[in-house]
Amino acid sequence: MNGSLAAIVGLLALTLVKATPLIYAALGGVLSERSGVVNIGLEGILIAGAFTGVVVSGATGSPLLGALAGVIAGALLAALLAYAATRLAVDQIVAGTGLNIAALAAAAFGLVLVYHQPGASREVPALGQRGEDVLIVLALVAAVALHVVLARTPWGLRVRACGEDPGAAESAGIDALRTRFTAVVIGGAIAALGGVFLSLAELDLYSDGMTAGRGFIALAAVIFGRWTPLGATGAAIFFGFFAALQFSLQRAGVPSEVMQALPYLAALIALAGFAGRVRAPKSDGVPYVRP
Amino acid sequence: MRRRFGAVQAVDGVDLELQAGEIHALVGENGAGKSTLAAIAYGAVRADEGTVEAVGVVGLVHQHFKLIDRLRVWENVLLNREPRKGWTIDVPAARARVRELGERYGLAVDPDALVETLPVGIKQRVELLRELDREPSVLLLDEPTASLAPAEIASFFTTVQGLAARGTAVMVVTHKLAEVIAYSQAVTVMRHGRVVARHRTADTSAEEIAREMVGGELPPLAERAATAPRPLLELHALSAQSGGSLLAEATFSVGAGEIVGVAGVEGNGQSALVDAIAGLAPFTGELSFDGDALRADETPAARLARGIRVIPQDRLHEALVLDWTVRDNVALGRQRSLPLAKFDAAAREVIERFDVRPPNPDAIVGALSGGNQQKIVVGRTLLSAPRLLIAYQPTRGIDIGAAALVQSRLIEARNAGVGVLLISFELDEIFACADRVLVIAGGRFVGAFDRAGIDRGRIGALMAGQR
Amino acid sequence: MKAALRSRGARDLLIVLVLVFGVGSLAMLLAHVSPIDGFSALFDGAFGTKEEIAETLVQTTNLLFPALGIAIAFRAGLFNIGAEGQLILGGFAAGWVGAEFPLPGILAIPMVLLAGFVAGGIWGAIPGFMRARFGANEVIATLMLNVVAVLLATYLVTGPLMQAGGGAQETAILPKAAQLGDLMVDSRLTWAFPLALVAAFVLRWLLQRTIFGYELRAAGEAPEAAKRAGIDLGRTALVAMALSGAMAGLGGATIVAGVLHRFNVGLSPGYGFIGIAVALVGNLDPLWICLAALGFGILQSGGIAMQAEAEVPKQVVSLVTGLVIIALAGRRVVAARRTT
Repeated sequence: MNGSLAAIVGLLALTLVKATPLIYAALGGVLSERSGVVNIGLEGILIAGAFTGVVVSGATGSPLLGALAGVIAGALLAALLAYAATRLAVDQIVAGTGLNIAALAAAAFGLVLVYHQPGASREVPALGQRGEDVLIVLALVAAVALHVVLARTPWGLRVRACGEDPGAAESAGIDALRTRFTAVVIGGAIAALGGVFLSLAELDLYSDGMTAGRGFIALAAVIFGRWTPLGATGAAIFFGFFAALQFSLQRAGVPSEVMQALPYLAALIALAGFAGRVRAPKSDGVPYVRP
Repeated sequence: MRRRFGAVQAVDGVDLELQAGEIHALVGENGAGKSTLAAIAYGAVRADEGTVEAVGVVGLVHQHFKLIDRLRVWENVLLNREPRKGWTIDVPAARARVRELGERYGLAVDPDALVETLPVGIKQRVELLRELDREPSVLLLDEPTASLAPAEIASFFTTVQGLAARGTAVMVVTHKLAEVIAYSQAVTVMRHGRVVARHRTADTSAEEIAREMVGGELPPLAERAATAPRPLLELHALSAQSGGSLLAEATFSVGAGEIVGVAGVEGNGQSALVDAIAGLAPFTGELSFDGDALRADETPAARLARGIRVIPQDRLHEALVLDWTVRDNVALGRQRSLPLAKFDAAAREVIERFDVRPPNPDAIVGALSGGNQQKIVVGRTLLSAPRLLIAYQPTRGIDIGAAALVQSRLIEARNAGVGVLLISFELDEIFACADRVLVIAGGRFVGAFDRAGIDRGRIGALMAGQR
Repeated sequence: MKAALRSRGARDLLIVLVLVFGVGSLAMLLAHVSPIDGFSALFDGAFGTKEEIAETLVQTTNLLFPALGIAIAFRAGLFNIGAEGQLILGGFAAGWVGAEFPLPGILAIPMVLLAGFVAGGIWGAIPGFMRARFGANEVIATLMLNVVAVLLATYLVTGPLMQAGGGAQETAILPKAAQLGDLMVDSRLTWAFPLALVAAFVLRWLLQRTIFGYELRAAGEAPEAAKRAGIDLGRTALVAMALSGAMAGLGGATIVAGVLHRFNVGLSPGYGFIGIAVALVGNLDPLWICLAALGFGILQSGGIAMQAEAEVPKQVVSLVTGLVIIALAGRRVVAARRTT
């Protein structure tokens, strides 16, 4: 009896660990999309956060500085996307795809540059178990905080207005382009914490491909969660649960590829089932050009 | 003041003065520059030359509401000016402010309602409240009654007169001369970006203003030939829904060789009616064409194949591919029956018969004026051997010359035996073209009139929902 | 309008060149290599010798197929990020069918290519169907299916279909009859290259000179107008995505039949993603895409040489590719969003 209780608790704990990077990325995605900018580049931001965190931690010996650097890197990358989306009014999905490709390449390039070896970095000072726990709790706190900000603060109202109808927002005196820019950058900073979690909390190094498409699963979580912070967090935990199941089911003989595919298949099914019933912010993904 | 938009001098050397406590009408036909002038006065658009001086705040209520559907009334009214409590919004104070404004100006609205659930007339109240919260000394209203029923129009102007009585300078941009005569004290007439006349309203008449707007007499329409219509399209208890538009239990018929006009305020079920006949929305009830019962799940392509054609109300999004040439746009709708080699000849035919300018099949449609774009849409439809034509706002937003040409062509098609269902929000257009007039209100057909028995007052009342 | 397009095209080309040479130089300097050494190694590696030119054309071919597919989807108003997965599954189908069902000479190659074409087409049709039937966003769907494709291929090749004695994740060698003939001795260049060019011409003809292409472009540029003109948007989405996937799958098949002579899960260094850049630089026109594919082919083959000769990590090429995609993302914005 004790054994199975411990197993369940262990599973729940593992679920939270697996879900945390997804939660950060999804929250960043929600904030960005509520302001009207689709951020496909979440994967790239995770990579940036993970890689920069490791490099700075290794260079300074301080994992906290590494985490901070990771957040800044994510914000900078998001700023690039935000600039392209607002001032240049390009297609946000295409730009986000380019961001992912560039970020992955930059990280791989950086690995060779800094560590003189491809594939993985050396081990660096990490945040440890304590840091991991703090980040998990922080993720849940951030979800609630973002909910409050969007629903109850003036800035949150402005963000939502820009996501629905930037033209109407501008006629009320809001600078839609600047609001979108800020939302995307802050979203990028939040998402980058997910990358930091992967490299500095769960582990203590960066390896090529360690983000493993989590940025894309986070996008699915945003849709599942109906573009709300709490909903996306719930969806992220749901996906984290599947990832946590992986190990147990693998022991039961299910091929590892099937397990790895589960979150993606789940997202596909939800996409087919949910699409048409959920509504994105009306101007999500539509570049706003001042007449 | 001067302002160019690309190759068009939208506003050219305009001087305008608005007095406090007065309602000043700015009139002109579509494309005359009225809306641009209002935008400049408000500050949304900058003039290339000239200055704008105002004492106090200038407010502008747009023709197409700048409201955010998925937000609440108070969120829209107080957007960017929200009352605060620490870091968050003071929601009770916001609600109270909206109620207070509503009482003061006689524009009561539920502060918590989601804007997308509100009918058009109430939405306009929200738009007004938003500007009134800023306590403007000058209020500009751009085509404010375009979407209102006659009764709502009267109530709207009562509010406006109240504002003027408090000392606000009000400018109403409109092309509805009846309202100008009834409610304004001063009139400025614009044509092609210039001011061509100024009057005190009491000293002039609707006919004089109309002549100044057009620069002459209105062009005459085509002659109506005698026809013997036999039923072509029959609806029986037809109900349909398309987007937010609802149609309930429509029963009427359209004959070959007649124009049936549907008079109604925008947003009363017209779109559902059009989409059901076009095959874009499902329906219940009976719909038959030339004796054949039409199935609700038939595709638009099948309807087209029967000879049912639609001139959509939004040519930019629903009828044309703006980046394509005139030639490719002429083929749109006939691409299955017109061989590629004949595209060019078809385009030239439309250009010639409908006076499209510039007369170049390779011209990019997005660069053409609204009138020429509409001529392409109407031309390609009429030259595709239609048997039933649904014309939905066929002269929306185009100059008087192009509008007259379109209306004449519709009459000529009617003379030649085509059945025409004309749906328009402009009563004058319906009265000029229709053999019979039906009235739609709240999704139901509430009245029918023969051409000889048209009663403007009665029709207006029916449109507003009175029995 | 044409003049505006031309000048915008010139400006975009300038941006691409600045990114390639500017960011490239910057990265080389960071790697302690002089840009002159780096770029000369790259271009020398791309067309120094006859064999190197052939290799460049191989890379061009491998990029051209998925790029054509992505462009078709774009023209229909859809974004196919899943070309990589479609390419991999197409390659798998080709490798498996070719080895399992040996056919005599003349039939072998068409069958192998057809297998790739069909497999890619099915994998592309899935998100197309989801879009047509449920209105599901094809971007997310193709992203998800990309990963599933790799996992599926890995599973099939290491599990039930594993080659005896294989540690590698690959299928058996194709019989000689199923291997594409070399265009040049001692190179990997095969008939796949002219095949790709032919495909480009066929697709251009399809887009510009057929009613199918007319309706596809209308659906992409003005969906509401297309709907009212009797065009079935759902069917168009399905067919466009299927054709898009089929082109990528065909590309995978040519890699298996021509270059590797067997299927290996690692057969693509991201051709499906680089193809996005190629499609954009080629302005979504099949003929210009051929040139764009050549440009990126030079970067790909030159990049490998650059890494070997000048010790500049070849990820610089991917980095620049990603930045090019961001810079040219404006080319995708469909004019229908204009509301004049």
